[in-house]
Amino acid sequence: MDSQLTQLCDSARQVVDGLGLAADEESSWALMAELGWFMVSAAEELGGLGLGIAGACALHQELGRSLSRVPFLPQMLAIEAVSRSPLAQQDEWLPSMLSGERVVTAALGESSFHLEKNTDGGFRLNGLVQAVPSADSASYLIVESAQHNCVALVGSAQPGMTLIARPTWDVTRRLFDIQADDVVLEKNLVLVEGDASQILIQQLAVLRDFALAADAVGASQALLKLTVEYLQTRVQFGRPLALFQALKHRCADLKALTDGADSLLQDNLAAVLDTHGEVVLTVETEMKARATKQLACSAFATVAEESLQLHGGIGMTSEHECHLFLKRALLNEHLGRSQESYDLGLADLFIASTQ
Amino acid sequence: MSVESNLDPFRQEVRQWMESSVDSGWRSAMINTEQETFVAAQKDWFSKLVSAGYATPHWPQGWPGGGRSLVEQKVIFEEVARADAPRLILYFVALYHAACTLLECGSAQQQARYLPGILQGEIWCQGFSEPNAGSDLASVRTRAELRGDRYVINGQKTWSTMAQYADRCLLLARTDKGERPQAGLTYMLLDMRAKGVTVRPISQITGDDEFAEIFFDDVEVPVEERVGEQGAGWAVAQATLASERGLTLVELSQRMRYSLPMIVRQMRSSECFGDVAIRRDLGRLISRVDAACALADRYLLKRISGDEGPGDASIVKLYYARTLREFTDLGKRVAGLQGQYNTGFMRGATQETGNWTVDFMNSYNWSIAGGSDEIQRNIIAERMLGMPREPRSWQFKEWS
Repeated sequence: MDSQLTQLCDSARQVVDGLGLAADEESSWALMAELGWFMVSAAEELGGLGLGIAGACALHQELGRSLSRVPFLPQMLAIEAVSRSPLAQQDEWLPSMLSGERVVTAALGESSFHLEKNTDGGFRLNGLVQAVPSADSASYLIVESAQHNCVALVGSAQPGMTLIARPTWDVTRRLFDIQADDVVLEKNLVLVEGDASQILIQQLAVLRDFALAADAVGASQALLKLTVEYLQTRVQFGRPLALFQALKHRCADLKALTDGADSLLQDNLAAVLDTHGEVVLTVETEMKARATKQLACSAFATVAEESLQLHGGIGMTSEHECHLFLKRALLNEHLGRSQESYDLGLADLFIASTQ
Repeated sequence: MSVESNLDPFRQEVRQWMESSVDSGWRSAMINTEQETFVAAQKDWFSKLVSAGYATPHWPQGWPGGGRSLVEQKVIFEEVARADAPRLILYFVALYHAACTLLECGSAQQQARYLPGILQGEIWCQGFSEPNAGSDLASVRTRAELRGDRYVINGQKTWSTMAQYADRCLLLARTDKGERPQAGLTYMLLDMRAKGVTVRPISQITGDDEFAEIFFDDVEVPVEERVGEQGAGWAVAQATLASERGLTLVELSQRMRYSLPMIVRQMRSSECFGDVAIRRDLGRLISRVDAACALADRYLLKRISGDEGPGDASIVKLYYARTLREFTDLGKRVAGLQGQYNTGFMRGATQETGNWTVDFMNSYNWSIAGGSDEIQRNIIAERMLGMPREPRSWQFKEWS
């Protein structure tokens, strides 16, 4: 990790610790905007810090530690998409996204969006996307369709767009479905068309997978720490629970799982970048992104499930933080693709690459 | 096979050498063979490595092949894995445990006497574990009684790799009943041909016998064969055990990654190729194996930069052992009923031979030997997570 990144991590950790667990969404967003965190990955010539996906993931990891409610991930995906489009050259777009003034969101779940080309060459949008974080505070949504070779922005309040809140057990996220009925895409908001859109869509998937992995790793680390601290202080049978080997060994296993996920994240992040810090799109990259997401999110789920058990009765109460981690872990497993499809997709790609 | 040109020159050199030196038929030659054949093959491979300088990169400058940095040593282990070269099972104790102990704690005379012999192919074994001192190594009972200018050894060692072929033994024996069990131990070098030494190979569950028991009946060891002071054996033994930390697991985890296609080939030739459950588990295994490699790598980088922390090595070993179990388990499931037919085994092979039931059984080597998973978990919990140690004193009580 270079020194700029280490510095960013250190200061982010302080800020995140100061905010506390699952801090208020709006004030956290304002603070992050003030600290310039939305600028982390964009290239320097576009007004960003130029730290790329590695910088973004370092922040995702810190935000994961605190179960941040901020829709940082969709904003980063949107910035990536706009950076790679002609809109990057227009003053009104990128600067306002980098400053956090303009909130743009993106779907983290399944999409049945369907694009139809009009006679004038424009697009009409129909269908439904799922798992769009904080859609009600975003002015735009990223629409992508691999089938129709297109990535575009669409106004979330445009005629024909309906937001449906989908309250989840995870209270640290606010997810929405978005239904589009004959929504006309503005021509200048079509970011990329043709083959280039396929590349961008894959790039966004790689970013998303690494970001979700980083979130899961950060949260696992924080939760394990919390759990060990609890076992140190809780006394039963005249001794701290942390003295019981049955419990120590489970904590050691969780530590190994967490360290494994962290190592894989850092290793794979480094492996998919070229010398300029840009993601190199290959099948190998796609596999690494999927493997990292899958391993990190399943490790987080195990850490969260075990931590609740290790906390005993207090873990079942809403006043304790344990359940916030568990619910976030359970949701994380379904973001991006389903966990099953990560498993099978990895196997299929690997089998195809093996003679 | 051509060597890529953008590699660093040393890696390129090692890779080229491996490609021209590793006999690709070594595996098939080891299937259901006699141990003598295996020993001959190990000797042959060892002498090739020694003359190329790749057996002793960790020895100091001045020794043949010596003076390589940890980074270069890592390159050699990685290229060994990549080339699917044989593992130097017969010489590992000599090259690492014996040599590093001598270099770190041995006298100048001891170094001059034994190090050249190692290069010429002398085989060493380790005399640490005993029937009642496995994970709890400090409770060693084999006695060494000082009589004049020699120690007289009585007792028993076990789990000594390839002791039946060894010329010399690294012996940890008790000279005093110290207050702490670690205090009364003394470290010495023992000639395996001395009078009173008996070796009995241990028949393993796989049919192999890579380990042996050693019995000592009034065996005499001259005082000048002691390493370190009398009673300082525990500290010397720590130097022995630390000698190869990290490198082996880099090699083994990479071998595991290179072996993943073996499972796929097995799938293709069996009925379960389209089985969703098997595919899902393969998908999970791929990322586990990658993580094991990443952990081993990160650990060695920490060692290189001097940032190693307590427990770091335990995480790597525990993770590897668990992943290897999952790996061989999947292979075994893919092999199905036929995998249960006893078709023998590949002698002295690596952890992944494609004979998955044998490989599965062998995977217990890594969760038991060298500090069992349970010991590693204790270390992780106590030294990394700061959880308290169990109280030391404990007494048997009659059930009432």
